[in-house]
Amino acid sequence: MLDVLRNRRFIFLALALVLLAVFPYLHTLPFFESFIDSYRTFQGMRFALWLIILMGLNLLIGYSGQISLGHAAFVSIGAYIAAILMTEYSVPVFAAVLIGGLLTGCIGFLIGVPALRLSGPYLAIATLAMVIVLPQILKHDLIDQWTGGVMGISLDLPHVPGSLKDRATDDQWLYYVCMVPAIIMTAMAWSITRSRIGRAFIAIRDSDIGAQQMGVNVSLYKMTAFGLSALYAGTGGALYVYTLAYLGPAEFDINLSLTMLVMIVLGGLGSIAGTVFAAIIMTMRIDLTDWIAGIIPAGERLGIDTTRGALFGILLIISMIFTPRGVAGNIQKMKEENQGEKIRELISRLRSRFRQKRDDV
Amino acid sequence: MDQFIQQVATGLSTGSLYAILALAIVLIYRSTSVVNFAQGEMAMFTTFIAWSCINWELPYWVAFFLTLLIAFLLGVLVELTIMRPVENAPPLNAIIITLGLFTLLGSLALRVWQGQPKAFPSPAVFNGAPLTLGPAVISRPNIGVFCMAILIMIAIYLLFSRTKIGLAMRAAAQNRVASELVGIRVGRMLALGWGLSAVVGAAAGMLLAPTIFLSPSMMQGVLLFAFAAAVLGGLDSPVGAIVGGLVLGVLQNLAGTYIDSKIDITVAFVVIIAVLLVRPKGLFGKQTMARV
Repeated sequence: MLDVLRNRRFIFLALALVLLAVFPYLHTLPFFESFIDSYRTFQGMRFALWLIILMGLNLLIGYSGQISLGHAAFVSIGAYIAAILMTEYSVPVFAAVLIGGLLTGCIGFLIGVPALRLSGPYLAIATLAMVIVLPQILKHDLIDQWTGGVMGISLDLPHVPGSLKDRATDDQWLYYVCMVPAIIMTAMAWSITRSRIGRAFIAIRDSDIGAQQMGVNVSLYKMTAFGLSALYAGTGGALYVYTLAYLGPAEFDINLSLTMLVMIVLGGLGSIAGTVFAAIIMTMRIDLTDWIAGIIPAGERLGIDTTRGALFGILLIISMIFTPRGVAGNIQKMKEENQGEKIRELISRLRSRFRQKRDDV
Repeated sequence: MDQFIQQVATGLSTGSLYAILALAIVLIYRSTSVVNFAQGEMAMFTTFIAWSCINWELPYWVAFFLTLLIAFLLGVLVELTIMRPVENAPPLNAIIITLGLFTLLGSLALRVWQGQPKAFPSPAVFNGAPLTLGPAVISRPNIGVFCMAILIMIAIYLLFSRTKIGLAMRAAAQNRVASELVGIRVGRMLALGWGLSAVVGAAAGMLLAPTIFLSPSMMQGVLLFAFAAAVLGGLDSPVGAIVGGLVLGVLQNLAGTYIDSKIDITVAFVVIIAVLLVRPKGLFGKQTMARV
């Protein structure tokens, strides 16, 4: 038992889980209420949703090396399936999310078939086509009795079940509904990436011809990567729609697809921790740019609304130049180089040089 | 039959809009293997500069060529300052940088010129009644854009195949180390590629602005179709960009007329993906071999 406690990673993980478990109630505690408000609970819920969705994208791009700009389409498909099940057939939310995720996963697996022959920018644009085309399909006469066409679907905002009513608010309830699947699916992704499947993905990413020579069934695993990534996106989308009052055909658009790609690169490709960072940045991106606009001298004068985009663009460019492997990659690098040692060495060298100069004088 | 010809003609003029921006995308891809997502925004931004020049009462053609010059400098500057540092990083990083540039230019333009659409003058030759060619009627600006796309393509073709600089650019794109060994300044060639591409983009922006109005978001719709066109034709082929753009425009129009106007884009993209399945590097793209 003590051995387990000595493992720093285990302690860190346990602390993180405890924090996530009590997070919605933190703002009611005396000390924490000074810097956390109930809005953070809502953000925590969004973080859980992005974590699921981005995890799928990182499995596909970061691990199996296939680029997709169509991820928002999978999110949209999952959201629509769940919304239709919940409103038309009054399926309970847990079943709707499960069915939405699995069906989207199957669709993703099939979309992996045409993706087999394409790579690089050609695959990127082919998957981009999904996002462009999907709104037209959703609005089409043949299925608009279910999807609501241009009007979309109106949903009832979810409420806490009666038995828990005096213990939790709606936001706190939603937080747990999203966070529990997010933690389960993160653990799942962790074990997948360390299994035979994960190793096959990485082999294909590094060289698909090489992987084939090693006996990896490249086609099967490429399709599996698409299917898994769609499963995550669909589940995330289905949960997402549960927290919305309205779902329209343009809810998850091309901008979202591109933003998600940006986020996983910023967080760190091919890394579970990187996806967690990516989900944090995705949730906090507006707080982040507002905070920066607040501290730079000209921020106030330029007007925050219009500078937000410009700041975000500049941040992207700077972070790609200086931390090309994302947050997770950078932490890894610091660990490898043991930055602490280096700084100590630098200080002692400076000190000795300073002393020498003083002696010279 | 008349309807068919008219639809093809309309499709060709829509397609030439896609084709001209696709050309700019192909130019950068050919020389640096980067898919530039900021291409449309760079074109939009330079078109706004042209608009400001015209507002300061410069004659149209002076503003036009001044803008091309500014665009060239902008393209070179972008390559030198923000693309050069990620030259050896994974290819996705370069794409993310162009996405950052996309956001940056978009909100800068919104800040400087505001969001409401502005009228942009077209050169005097394009004004006048639509032309009638057989059974089809085509407006003059559309013919202008079409001819310009062809002219730019020919210019690029001549540059790449008949001049020493073009040869050096092709060499730099194909094999960096070998080009450096024979004395080509590869860095300069890459910057030149970005500059030229920005020039083509600026020309595209100024030609499109009279028909689709000038606004910070004017290029976003066109850009996606330009990407599709470039991919359909083959990302490394200027001829492919033109053919891809025209085919995409015609497809979209015919699908809208004869199949279902509500799924015109869907049909066009299904055809593109079908073509890509047969030719994974596009219609005119070179098939590559990989050595393990």
